[in-house]
Formats: sequence, structure tokens, C-alpha cells
Amino acid sequence: MTEPADLLVVDELRYAYGERVAVKSASLTCRRGEILGLLGPNGAGKTTLLSCVAGLLSGFEGKLTFDGKPFTPADDSGGRARLGLVPQELALYADMTATENLEFFARMQGVAAADTAAAVQRGLELAGLLDRADDRVSTYSGGMKRRLNLAVGDLHNPDLLLLDEPTTGVDPQSRNHLFECLQRLRESGRTMIYTSHYMEEVQRLCDRIVIVNEGVVIGVGTTAELCKLAGSEEGNLEQAFLAMTGRSLRDES
Amino acid sequence: MNTWSAAVLIARKDFSLYRRDRTGLLLGLLLPIVLVAVFGAVMKFAFGGEGGMPRVTIWVCDQDDSATSQKFVQALRQVSMLRVLPKAGQEPRTAEQLRQMVRDGEAHHALIVGKGFGEALANATEPQLTVVRDPGRAMEVRVVGIGLMQAMMSAGDGNSMGWMLGSMMRRNGMSEAGVARMRSGMEVVQGIIGMFASGSDPELRAPDAKSEDVKNIDMSSMFEQLVPVTNEDVSPPARPKNLAYQLAQSVAGMTVMMLMFGLMACSSMLLVERDQGTLRRLLVSRAPRHALLLGKFLFCFIVGMIQLIVLFAFGEVIFSIGAFRDPLTLLALAVTWSAAATSFGILISVWAKTTKQAEGLSTLLILVMAALGGCWFPIQMAQLPWYGEAITRSTLTFWAMEGFQGMFWHQKSWTDPVMLRAMAVQWGFVVIAAALSWRLWRRRFVGT
Repeated sequence: MTEPADLLVVDELRYAYGERVAVKSASLTCRRGEILGLLGPNGAGKTTLLSCVAGLLSGFEGKLTFDGKPFTPADDSGGRARLGLVPQELALYADMTATENLEFFARMQGVAAADTAAAVQRGLELAGLLDRADDRVSTYSGGMKRRLNLAVGDLHNPDLLLLDEPTTGVDPQSRNHLFECLQRLRESGRTMIYTSHYMEEVQRLCDRIVIVNEGVVIGVGTTAELCKLAGSEEGNLEQAFLAMTGRSLRDES
Repeated sequence: MNTWSAAVLIARKDFSLYRRDRTGLLLGLLLPIVLVAVFGAVMKFAFGGEGGMPRVTIWVCDQDDSATSQKFVQALRQVSMLRVLPKAGQEPRTAEQLRQMVRDGEAHHALIVGKGFGEALANATEPQLTVVRDPGRAMEVRVVGIGLMQAMMSAGDGNSMGWMLGSMMRRNGMSEAGVARMRSGMEVVQGIIGMFASGSDPELRAPDAKSEDVKNIDMSSMFEQLVPVTNEDVSPPARPKNLAYQLAQSVAGMTVMMLMFGLMACSSMLLVERDQGTLRRLLVSRAPRHALLLGKFLFCFIVGMIQLIVLFAFGEVIFSIGAFRDPLTLLALAVTWSAAATSFGILISVWAKTTKQAEGLSTLLILVMAALGGCWFPIQMAQLPWYGEAITRSTLTFWAMEGFQGMFWHQKSWTDPVMLRAMAVQWGFVVIAAALSWRLWRRRFVGT
């Protein structure tokens, strides 16, 4: 039996925080092995959409299909184990070392005790922290923490890695290192959904881009396709983005 | 991964973090020890002195049942420092029943008014009075002595002072001739005091004395041993001889309260995990979601057990409270209280939306429950109305105190019905708190 080409299908997803509708209608597909960019202004519903997929929010309307099967992540710990999350905040224990953080999260992700050491080693290599493995995270620079944040999310070789603005607050060198890490992961066949505000990041990394505005998916395609859709002749994603989402300031989500 | 291995992993990780902050760890253990030491000493000395005295309950059996003995019991009821039981109109108890009550720890003082009481008073001779008492209740012994003297003076129409003083001096080795000389002198003194107190001879008063000064004459502290009584001391054989009630109460009270303070960190653990973002990561992980809550419970429970053991060891070394006399009972009580206090902390943790809320509410509830539950002073001494009793009994601390005092003071074993009831109430709270915590956890943290 062949694997379906689409690893994740989101169909007419809708989610509201009480009266406030954060995602009005979102439909998208994420193909196996691709990096799908999720682009949108503040408050567009990107994080909410990602949280629904990760099982952090439930009670949404619509349907999720993962690897060809209906998926209710909040209730399906086995399915969740195939996801990796790199949250926007530095989700690490600052008083633990990189090794301890990696060990703990590996075990929580269900990595067998015998395989933990190898997973930790891989994580340290990915984060470029082999020489600082036994230092507490609180002593790391912002860039080192971001790299470790990414490594923790990918520890258990997830089928789908969800990255929520993973480069927030890092310098160009660390950002570049993160990009290289992500490219290595793509080469190894990892499927990723990547949210960001930065056009150049998305343009550089992502195979396809989904533009979300005010809780609605308003465009899906490659950079060239989106530019064409927005009527931007120069192939500039930022211009296309502004043309599609408008120039007015947005509230934070 | 199953629930237990995930929970153990979480607890182990939290333990590792807990050990990192050595100053915090030291303070956490040192603070309750200092408080137990200070409060224990203060209570011991404060209640052993001449200061204000709380109302003391005394059970009475009137075997004489004469007009004089009834008047004496009635006078006893009027003494402000005493609460006389059974109340007027309630079913009277026999002397043997009262002895049994003291033996069982249900009463600490019982007075048996012997046959011939009325006749003895009429003849100005020593009546037969027996006090069955728990000798560890040193403070109450003095209060009862003063109360008996006041009631005797009242029942004897003011004629008892002579024979009482005579009796006391005789007990202290005065010869009969000396007693006779003293009593004749007493009659003159008594007459002068009577005229002074009644105001019938204004010459006896100083020019600037007010009528209130006369009314407030209190010589009771001088006369607390005037009434001759036969004391029957009844105490559990295993209780350490030098253990005073106030000390046992202080150690148990401070331990119960300080464990709750020690576990206050519990009440913000989930919020910290949420605020640093790790909760999202854990929720996405393969671990069952209820394992996160269980892991937090496990960690706090173990910390609570360590704190209890350290506190009791300290109490044993410094005050010889006999904490390890019955290890099984101590273990049952410690496990129960640690589980109940942890459940309380976890419930606050899932209820609170911010760390500040969690800490504020915990502090408030802990202090209120400590006061109402009898951690600060023996709440049984307060004359509470029925609703006050109900509120007191609705606190978790009351039942913890009931258990620890049952062990330290009354020397009860965990199989005693009183102890089983105290533990059952706490475990009932654990179950209810767990159910509520689970609901709130799902609603506020898991988002389902």
C-alpha cells in the first residue's frame, strides 16, 4: 500500500475562543517531505491553527486527516507522538543542562531508555551544542537556546515538525545556523510546517506558502504563484503579502 | 509509555530541579524548624505562667446530691474559667463513666463530689472531693484548683476560708495548735475583708479608692490549692512523662501548618510550567496528559513526606514528643496528611490563573485553616456555637490535628476509630480534590 502524498490535510477548520473567532475557515494540505510556510500578520490565526493540529486546542470544527486517517490529536497520544513541536517560547528548563533537557523530553516523547543516549547525541549535534552539553541552559545565549529548542522538538524523529516562529529574537548567525539545521532535516525527509513573519525566511526555506489573514486562508502556492495571484510582477513575496493582506496594523493574537 | 513511567519521569525531573536551589531547599527545611522551636517554647512557657487562662472543661458527678452539693455544683457553673459538663438538665454521668472518659482521652478533668459533702461543709470539716485528671494538662490543673476554691467559698457562704486554710497548712506540716491559732486569727481577718468588700465600713477604704477597685479584688492566684482534693492521675502509659499538652499541640500544629506552607510551591508549579512554555511541549508529547498532573502530585507528596520526617525527627530530638513510638501510625498519618496537603496545593494550582493568585489564595487559606483547625491553639477550649464547630470541622487542618494529637497526646494507634475517621476525612478530601483538579486541569490547561 502506497503512502498518501499529503501527510496532513486540514479541512474547513474553525476555532473560537469564546466569542472571538480566531480561525474562521482554514483548509490546507501539507505534502510529505515539504516545508510548508504559514504566513500571516499578527493575530491572523497561525498559532491557533498550529495548536489545533498539535492537539493543544480541541473542540474545533472541521476535519483533520493525518497520514490518510482522521486525526483528533487532543485524544490521540499515539498520533501526537508522530508530531514534533517547536514552540514560539523557549520551552526549556533553564536550570537543567542541554543533555538533561534532551534526555527528559526524549523519554517523554516515548524514546526507549536504550535509545535515549543516541537521540540526545543527535540533538546536541543538531543544536551545535556538543561542547556545552553539560552547562545549564540559563548560561546559554539566545541563539543557543533557540537551537536547543529546535533540537528538543525533533528528538524523536517526528513525521511532522511544527515550527512556530522558531527564529524569534536571534542574531543572523544563529538564524543562519537554524536554517542549515532545517535544510538538513528536509534532506533527511522531514515534513515541516513553518510559521513566521519574516518573508525572506519563508521565501528561502519553504516549498509552498499558505497566507492566512483574519482567520481565513487567502492564498496557497509557491512564491511565484502567490506573486502572480497578488498581481506582483517583480516576484516580491512581501509586496504580494501586503497586497493580499492590506497595510493596516493588526492586533496581537 | 505508560502513565506510571511518565509520572515517575516527571517527578524525577522535578526532583532534580528541586535539588538545584540549595538555599531554597535549606530555607524550606529551616523555616518550619525555627517556627516549631519558637512556638513550642513560647507556648510551653506562656501557658505555664500566671497569664490569662482559657476556659477549661470539667465533668462533674455529684454523688452526695444534697442541697449543699447542688449549690456547690451550681457555683462551679458560675466560675468564668470553667465549663462544667454535663450541662444542667443533661443526663448525669457516674463516677466510673467519668473515670473511663479521662482514660479514653475524651475528658481531661472530672470532679467527683463524694457522699457526705454537705454534712462535712456544715461541720467545717474536709469534704470528700476527687479530681480524676490527665496530669499532662498542667495549665488546666491550676485553673481547676482556682475554680474549686471560688465555688467552695460561694457554696460555704463565706465560712469555708477558715477550714480550707487550716487544711492546707495542716497538709504542709502545721501542728493542730498552730492551725487553731491561725483559724481564730482568720476569723478576725475574714470579718475585716467582708466589711471592706461589702462597703459596710467606709473607714477601711483608702480616700482615693473607687468602688470598682473593691469589686476587682482577685486573690484567687494565691489560693488555687486551698480546696483539699484527692487527685487520681490517669494518662496513657506510653506517653513521655515530660510531655506537656501545649508542647504536643504546638509541635503537631506547627507541623501541620508548615507542611502546607512548604507545599505552597505546588500551587504555582503548573503555572510556571505553562509560563515557561514547557507545558505546551509536554502536552504535545506522547505522555498521557493526566500523567503530568500525577507527576506533579508525586513530586509534592514526596517533598511533603521528607518535610514531615525532618520535622518529627527534630521534635523528637529537642522536645522528646515520642514521635516514633508507633512508626506505623506515624507513617499512616504522615502519608495521609502529605497526600491531603498536596491535593490542596494541586487544586489551587489548577484553579489559579496566575502565580500571584495561587500564592495569595494558598497563604490565605493556609492561615485561616491553621487558625480554625487548631494549629495555633487548642480550638477545643474555645466555646464555639454549633456553626463555629461545623466550620472548624470542615477544615482539613482540624482532621490532621485530630490525627496527630490522637497519636502524640492520646497515644492512639491508627486502628482506633477516632484516628480512622480523621484519616478517612482527609482521604475523602484527596478524592474530591483530585476529581475537581482533573476537571479544572482539562478545562484550563489541556483545553478540552
